[in-house]
Amino acid sequence: MDKPISTSTHNKLRLERYIRTAIGIVISAFLFWRIYNVVVLQQHFGADTWVRFGLSGLILGGMYALIAIGYTLVYGIMFMINFAHGEVMMLGAFGGYFTFEILRFIPAPTTASPDLNFLNANPFLSVLLAFVVGITISATAGFYLEKIAYRPLRNAPRLILLITAIGASTILQNLAMLLFGPQRKNVVNPDVLDRAAGWVINVGGNDVLISYTGVFSLVLSTLLMIGLFILVQRTKLGRAMRAVAQDKNTAFLMGVDVNDVVSKTFIISGALAGAAGVMWSIHMGLVNHFTGFLPGIKAFTAAVMGGIGNIPGAMLGGILLGVIEAIGPAGMGIDFQLKDVIAFSILVLVLIVRPSGILGEKLSEEKL
Amino acid sequence: MRSSALDKGLRTGVIFGIVIAIMFLIGFTVTGAGLVGKLFGVSSSYNTPPLTFFVIFMVLMGAWAGITAAARSLTEPDTLKRALTAGASAGAVSGLISAVVGFIFGTLNANAIDPRTYLPMVSPESTKLFLMNQSPLTGSLMLLGVLTVSGAAAAGLSFYLRTHDGVKSGARNITESVRKTIRSEGVARVTNSPYARYGFWLLVAALLIILPRTWGGYWNYVFGTVGIYIILGLGLNIITGWAGQLVIGYVAFFAVGAYTFALLTAPEPHNLTMNFWLALGLGVLAAGISGLLIGLPILNLRGDYLAIVTLGFAEIVRILLKSDLMTEYTAGPRGVRDIAGPTLFGRSFVSDVDFMYLIIIAVLVVTFIAYRLQNSRTGKAWYAINLDETVARATGINAFASKLLALSLSAAMAGLAGVLFASRNQFTGPDDHALMVSINVICLVIVGGIGNIPGVFLGAFALKGLPEILRETENYRLLIFGVLLIVMMRLRPEGFLPAKRPVLEKSAQTSSKEAQP
Repeated sequence: MDKPISTSTHNKLRLERYIRTAIGIVISAFLFWRIYNVVVLQQHFGADTWVRFGLSGLILGGMYALIAIGYTLVYGIMFMINFAHGEVMMLGAFGGYFTFEILRFIPAPTTASPDLNFLNANPFLSVLLAFVVGITISATAGFYLEKIAYRPLRNAPRLILLITAIGASTILQNLAMLLFGPQRKNVVNPDVLDRAAGWVINVGGNDVLISYTGVFSLVLSTLLMIGLFILVQRTKLGRAMRAVAQDKNTAFLMGVDVNDVVSKTFIISGALAGAAGVMWSIHMGLVNHFTGFLPGIKAFTAAVMGGIGNIPGAMLGGILLGVIEAIGPAGMGIDFQLKDVIAFSILVLVLIVRPSGILGEKLSEEKL
Repeated sequence: MRSSALDKGLRTGVIFGIVIAIMFLIGFTVTGAGLVGKLFGVSSSYNTPPLTFFVIFMVLMGAWAGITAAARSLTEPDTLKRALTAGASAGAVSGLISAVVGFIFGTLNANAIDPRTYLPMVSPESTKLFLMNQSPLTGSLMLLGVLTVSGAAAAGLSFYLRTHDGVKSGARNITESVRKTIRSEGVARVTNSPYARYGFWLLVAALLIILPRTWGGYWNYVFGTVGIYIILGLGLNIITGWAGQLVIGYVAFFAVGAYTFALLTAPEPHNLTMNFWLALGLGVLAAGISGLLIGLPILNLRGDYLAIVTLGFAEIVRILLKSDLMTEYTAGPRGVRDIAGPTLFGRSFVSDVDFMYLIIIAVLVVTFIAYRLQNSRTGKAWYAINLDETVARATGINAFASKLLALSLSAAMAGLAGVLFASRNQFTGPDDHALMVSINVICLVIVGGIGNIPGVFLGAFALKGLPEILRETENYRLLIFGVLLIVMMRLRPEGFLPAKRPVLEKSAQTSSKEAQP
């Protein structure tokens, strides 16, 4: 042994970092060239199309962000990927759908319009009710998921927890399919929140529709994110959550009820996913048992992109992913069928170039 | 203060009640009754099973609830009164919940409201069966009665069985004598003699040669599928069972193998029509290389990422295969047709019997490789990484290279399975490579016993063979898999046939744990 081990390890790590950076530079140069080519030189689309794509990306990104926060919260505390989180969101979407369906059957006749139903008579109350129902269902699902499936395995190896989560995801998805049928259901919104209605602005001579549902979703997801941020940073529960995330044992010694904090974390992440689910059913208008699967995986991608375990990172990652997914296919001049491929490619690229994510701190190897 | 027996009964009852209600809502009550019917030799796959079987099914559910509720508790003395209270209350509560659900849907039915717009599995026939062909009120009361009585009776019976020495010692005597016979010297001499072993393997070989010829096409198809899943399971077992890295998108490698082979041999879209054996080799190689490429950036990160990235990779592969962009190269959503079958010495053999032989040979080869790997240095390195990667590294194992090797070997085996699959069906399309395949493989590896080769065989037979026999459960297969995964992880995470090696090293393991507080 003629040279010390530490030096060689050090060199290897440095080399690896250079390789990662190099790959990153090559890929971004290629992407830049491609996008420049398509957007500036070829000019397939006018400015109005880009505004439209960007808006739909922002709206989608808001929902991704809400789901991604759930992944990140649970990951920060339990170091597990809650694979069933997308399905929790799907349950919320069904909650919203069924609330609207039930309210549609309740008559609320007025003298002006005798066949008015409750949904259209009290649209704001209806939407509020839908959110309450969806959030309650999802939060309950999150709570029981943790209690039944994950808590008995708290100290088990990670592989076992992950397999349990896959099992839970399979159960929820197939239960929803068997209960409600595999076909997609059309969500009927109150007339006020018609998906085709909205403000029209003029961009470069063409009209761009900004739908009410989109603005509503975006505003609501922003509010929820601010609320969550305040909850985590300013309240006692938030402090307990951060403490448990840092060190479970020490937090326990300091008098934090770890089980309670974990339970509440699952409730909060479930509630956010439920809100995202109801937004999904209001804005997208189609719900089935598979609704949660892709958004779930993409939100996980968003959480990794922002730096897993990092709450602002999850928000940023979600919105970025939504926007990239919306303008990506057009920007790179590829088929719109391939937008899901973009999301997964981003996941792989982030893990190659910067595994700790955009805002992620330098994690120890054990955490990473 | 409520007695804890009543409390336990109520809680168990609520759980079982919800389970029964969900079973009704997803139509499983009809299927369950059909399964009970099958047990008695009455097949009723395509019509509603007779009422008797439904009642037996409900009695079984009630009995299960009763026995669960009446299980011995640490805080209370084990008396008949306690067992009966717990069992009856569990049965009654579950009965009450089912009765309410039955009453609601029975009333809807009576008023000609069809709930199938929202709950498609609640057919009028199923509701009628659930209410035992009675009016809503009578039917739900009968349901309540059946569940309560069966719960109480089963609780009483279980109490009687565990407290009465006669029954207990009788059962113990039988197991004891069986064990004594098995362990006796004569038996040991026979089973340990080399002739017995040769005889056993000769018997297995004879069965493997004779059975495919006599089974007929259907069973060859079923067991061919089992064989392909054994290969998949053995492959996944390397990376997940031995090296401890979960791969969710395992189907991607299966797809790479199948498509490489298909595109090389099929007349469309490329018209390469390559030789079967060469294409097989290239398919396996392509899958192995794809595993290597996926593993390179990911494997030095923590395990969970590999799971998600392979999942993403599987989705990318599926979407690309389906997309219009790649139709020119991969035949798009229609899939590749007329894939070549194997040829040997100029003679092509594509009958189901020939294919069964080919699959059996492939399974044997893969099993042999797996056994050799298990006992090799590499295999030991994988075990070490699985147990503790940091320690493994400290002992001089190149963890990254070992994991990479494991992943590409797994991928190559999946590629082999994909080649066989595509060649046997003479067709492969994007829908053959849905995520469901991966979940099946993960399930079979876990149910059989993670890290154990015989376990993979058991798992493949149980998960791919049994559903063929129990055709009624077709719709519920994935749901049952999910439940199975969670239950296995909680009760028996090591599987039905646990791997031997960790047991051998248990004493060393525990002592190291004690030393490290």
